[in-house]
Amino acid sequence: MSREQYQIPTGSQQTFAAGGSNTVATSTNREFETGIMHYTCGDCAARVPLEKGAAIRCQKCGARVLYKERTKRMVQFEAR
Amino acid sequence: MPRKQPTEEDLERRKIVSVNAETVTDVTSTDFPGNWPGENHAWDIEKVIRDTKIEFHQNEPAEASFSLIGVDASIANAFRRIMIADIPTIAIEKVFIDNNTSVIQDEVLAHRLGLIPFTGGREGLDNFMRWLPKPKDNEPIESTYFDYNTISLELKVTCTDNPDAAPGEKDPRKLYNHGHVYAKDIVFAPVGRQVKYFAGEDAIRPVNPDILIAKLRPGQQIELSMIMHKGVGSDHAKFSPVATASYRLLPTITILQPILGRDAEKFAKCFPEGVIGLAKVTKEEAARQGSGYEGHAGELKAVVVNPMLDTVSRECLRHGEFKDKVRLGRKRDHFIFNVESTGQWESDAIFLASIAHLKEKARKLEQQVVDMVR
Ligand SMILES: [Zn+2]
Repeated sequence: MSREQYQIPTGSQQTFAAGGSNTVATSTNREFETGIMHYTCGDCAARVPLEKGAAIRCQKCGARVLYKERTKRMVQFEAR
Repeated sequence: MPRKQPTEEDLERRKIVSVNAETVTDVTSTDFPGNWPGENHAWDIEKVIRDTKIEFHQNEPAEASFSLIGVDASIANAFRRIMIADIPTIAIEKVFIDNNTSVIQDEVLAHRLGLIPFTGGREGLDNFMRWLPKPKDNEPIESTYFDYNTISLELKVTCTDNPDAAPGEKDPRKLYNHGHVYAKDIVFAPVGRQVKYFAGEDAIRPVNPDILIAKLRPGQQIELSMIMHKGVGSDHAKFSPVATASYRLLPTITILQPILGRDAEKFAKCFPEGVIGLAKVTKEEAARQGSGYEGHAGELKAVVVNPMLDTVSRECLRHGEFKDKVRLGRKRDHFIFNVESTGQWESDAIFLASIAHLKEKARKLEQQVVDMVR
């Protein structure tokens, strides 16, 4: 799988049932399709939905610093 | 011309490593064939069985101390190295992180998880769990995962505010729910026959449930699953069954000339407590000519009580009055082992397993030598 190209993850990649689930919240997929992205407010830590072209601003406190959320994909590490 | 055979005393003296004020001499062993003219020091199984002794001083699950007497340093060292690097344990090997919004980075978190010692039912660990085989080329690694070589664990913690906390509470453990993530928060997820082997008391669990893994604040979350495999310490230290496995040689203290009265008290203070004791000079000793005790009946003299407790600090050799009255040394074939288990094995079982492992290695070597000659 190319790193650049985004693929919507499916739950069927995992062969070993117990070894790490790869399921992704379906709400995220819907958000992705509707073009709404969620960010985290740098001031009040609220989850801020933003549409394309919307002002980069927290709807709760008005702060202008928003952080990107962590990936919803599973990340694998060696415990070494 | 037949040479004089060594006396029992000679043989004992040859076993002593001399510890002098500033040097250590007679370090290497001399009891090998061809070293002493006319003496036979060939390896002999009967002699090994007769001379080798093991004496336990302390034997608890977490720590054992014992003496291995009558073997060469190479054998004692082989046991030590096998205990550290070749006795298998299970440890977390892969971490699948679904979410980690804590301040501790994924890599560091995975590394910390790997180092947590786990334990479980002996029957399951010894006889049921096997090595993870290498996957065949162009096959995914998961194709080799089975219930007998892979154990899965989960850790799902979310930190929240504790509404019941007293006003003005400062302790994060009371102020928040799951402000600290501990090893006991890890959940064992048995698969297949693991349900049978690791049931109830025998469940896979951290040896020390209070190991701190991470700290969280409200809103932060750790959600991950892990898999464990069997491994050995030569691959990674997390697989080593011992925290320490070390030996030292038994110290010897020989008092050559009498040390009496105030000197004896001072001499005792040169050693850790319990090494040197004070005893009264008996009438017989005082009566014996040339014993050095003449006319000192009833006075206190220094006697060696327990040289095993000595740290061989050589403090006594710094004092002019004792310098020529005492000889320090170590017994070259008396190894005082100290084995501290990380909890998956009982510490004495680790030593027994190391003996079995050395035996197995010797057997394999023998087969290879046979094949080589053929
Ligand atoms: Zn805000």
